[in-house]
Amino acid sequence: MAGKSGRTIAHTQNKSLLKRLMCWESMLVILFIIVNIYCSSLSSTYQINNVLREMPKYLTEVFLLLPMAYILVMGDIDISVGSIVCLSATVACILGNKGLPFGLVLLVGLLTGALCGLINGIIVTKFTELPPMIVTLGTQILFRGIAEIALGSGGSISLEHAEGFRMLAGRVGRIPYILFLVLILAVIYIIILSKTTFGRKLYAIGSNKLAAYYAGVKVQKIRLIVFTLTGLMAGLSALFLTALQYGVNTTTASGFEMNAISMAVFGGISTAGGKGRLQGGVIAAFIIISLRVGLGQINLNPQVILIILGALLILAVMAPNIVEQFKLMKKRSSVK
Amino acid sequence: MSDYILELKDITKIFPGVKALDGVKFQLKKGEIHALMGENGAGKSTFIKVITGVHRAEEGEMFLEGEKVNFKKTKDAQEAGIAAVYQHPTSYPDLTVAENIFKGHEVLKFGMIQWKEMNRQAETLLEQLNADFKVTDEMGTLSVAQQQMVEIAKALSTNARIIILDEPTAALTKNESEELYRIVDKLKENGVSIIFISHRFEDMYRLADRVTVLRDSQYIGTYDVDGITNADLIKAMVGREIKDLFPKPEVKLGEEVIRVENFSRTGYFKDVSFKVRAGEIIGLTGLVGAGRTEVVESICGVTRPDSGKVFLNGKEVTIKEPSDAMKNGIILLPEDRQKQGLILSWGLGDNVTLPIISKYAKGGFNDTKKERELAKDLLESVDTKAVSIFDKASTLSGGNQQKVVVAKALAQEMKVVIMDEPTKGVDVGAKAEIYQIMGELAKEGYAIIMISSEMPEILGMSDRIVIMCNGRVTGQLDRQETTQERILELAMEKSEK
Repeated sequence: MAGKSGRTIAHTQNKSLLKRLMCWESMLVILFIIVNIYCSSLSSTYQINNVLREMPKYLTEVFLLLPMAYILVMGDIDISVGSIVCLSATVACILGNKGLPFGLVLLVGLLTGALCGLINGIIVTKFTELPPMIVTLGTQILFRGIAEIALGSGGSISLEHAEGFRMLAGRVGRIPYILFLVLILAVIYIIILSKTTFGRKLYAIGSNKLAAYYAGVKVQKIRLIVFTLTGLMAGLSALFLTALQYGVNTTTASGFEMNAISMAVFGGISTAGGKGRLQGGVIAAFIIISLRVGLGQINLNPQVILIILGALLILAVMAPNIVEQFKLMKKRSSVK
Repeated sequence: MSDYILELKDITKIFPGVKALDGVKFQLKKGEIHALMGENGAGKSTFIKVITGVHRAEEGEMFLEGEKVNFKKTKDAQEAGIAAVYQHPTSYPDLTVAENIFKGHEVLKFGMIQWKEMNRQAETLLEQLNADFKVTDEMGTLSVAQQQMVEIAKALSTNARIIILDEPTAALTKNESEELYRIVDKLKENGVSIIFISHRFEDMYRLADRVTVLRDSQYIGTYDVDGITNADLIKAMVGREIKDLFPKPEVKLGEEVIRVENFSRTGYFKDVSFKVRAGEIIGLTGLVGAGRTEVVESICGVTRPDSGKVFLNGKEVTIKEPSDAMKNGIILLPEDRQKQGLILSWGLGDNVTLPIISKYAKGGFNDTKKERELAKDLLESVDTKAVSIFDKASTLSGGNQQKVVVAKALAQEMKVVIMDEPTKGVDVGAKAEIYQIMGELAKEGYAIIMISSEMPEILGMSDRIVIMCNGRVTGQLDRQETTQERILELAMEKSEK
């Protein structure tokens, strides 16, 4: 069947380089540079060595950002990840202290996370009418509760056989292992989201779950996979966190879920689903890390840092709206 | 003084691309019950909305008791004493009956609601209607019939002289309908004039003095109910030479492609069986709510039937979700293209290729170049009025969106094509083009199931017509041996019993 009217439809896009560069990610890169210049001007100790030394504890949150971006793109949310980190860390710590081979400890740590993620996934996919926010709020409390029981009356466990974990916290020259791992994983996660059919389906689910389902996308299976993957990544985060903190306590990783979500949202990923790119999320993560390290160098009160980060996040979310309003105003005035 | 309380002359209403009303006239006598009938999409609802001031007609005049009126908004019509009661009452379920009745015109004193007075007035109104519930009941706890009664009370509370009932009995049981008849009769006794829309002939015979028929946005005629027959009415509603408008090709039918056996899903449909041969177009029809969409959704795995089997080329297939159906070549074009058919925020190209991205991908990576070329070819073949495959689906009109849905189906390997109301909300030009594509698909040997409520389309395009009523197949007729009257009879058969 050929077109009857002979009309042709364009299938290529000619975007000028300038237009391509005019995106949120470019803004973030510029912001990243500004933040770093600002931090260096604040304190003479904001140097690459110090940054690399301070960075690892914040990088553990980036492990959570990566799958969280997928979850948000699907229009879902998982606020139990912080508790999963805590529970996985607790399990790994206890097993490590029992003298199990380190390989096995790693494996069980990861599997604990994956299992928690799987539980979330099963609940949200079998009972689709339950909002993921509420389900994971429940499991957030549940997982941390289990961790707290395991941690006992002291509320914390210190590593006794720390050799293996110390290895995790090691570095090549000055660069910590975790930075390598974060960057490699970030690249993989970005490529999967932007270039593969799996990524396209995530966007389809987040844009219109029903239409995606009618188009043959296995919506619930994909959601189950992503929630489980999120748990697995939380397990990974837990192992590094344990290594960095030489132990675990009841408040380990509390608030991580919100930090991961903030990074994603700051990076332009919409919590309504279907919009945004992980590139932005990763750059945003590094902006936040730079700020935290930088402001930490001048011994700024941690609460003040929180206020600054919060304000920044709100500004970042507002920015696109302000631009829209501005465009609208311009349009209106030109009509008059 | 005019004989008529309400008279409309040469009303024409134009929506972008469609003439929804074309020179329609209407006369309502004082104290009369007047039925308004016609097929889906004939323009009844639009006409009602013109009377109530929701829409403004481009042409035509409206007279209320001989005086020319011009309603700019719904409030104007309300103040003139015209009230409408819709099929699905738009009430506030958490508020009381009295609050619902007086919503928008509460009994006030110094800006404060006078609860006692308001409840008392509401009680008086309900007494008139013989209501069996209290004014302090919450609206949400009432049955649909009771809620309708509240809506009628609400109309009376505004001192309406003309009450319009839009499909009042559609959601009611037999007994509830009887109750409604009684109320309507009583309203008539009190001198209220009533216009009602209904698909049920029974309503019309029982209540109406006269009936006006609309068809294809045009006025067909007004008849006295005494002495009119079903056949006359149906002819007025659907009658016209229609076969020539449909490019139905003569296709030599091949082997059976799909067979559905004893399909049942509790509450939706029961014991549905039919088969479709290669090159055959089956028209699946019935009234809205007869279970047609539910049946095909179960065939395609959107929902699971409780029992029943699907055979494809003689072999039984298991379909658990839409992707299974697609793998087997059963392609559904869903009814609601905006919610089910398309991702409106996406470009057309991505929409078209979504079902097949995995097939074209290399090692899981999207082959964007190939996808775009394919999308371009398909969108051109269905003649979409789009400039680029990157245009967002939301920017297209209904007809063009439907063509994108068709292109999306064409992208896949098809054996069976199921189209659910393919021309719903589509203008005439695009309709013809969709029929054209349907015909060509049949010629290429695909088995086609078309769900439709539009009689001309059913008679024009189908080889065989499967009629459903209340979840059951009530008849399977060849096109040659059937008439519109026969189909309507079968479609309404059991809803009256």
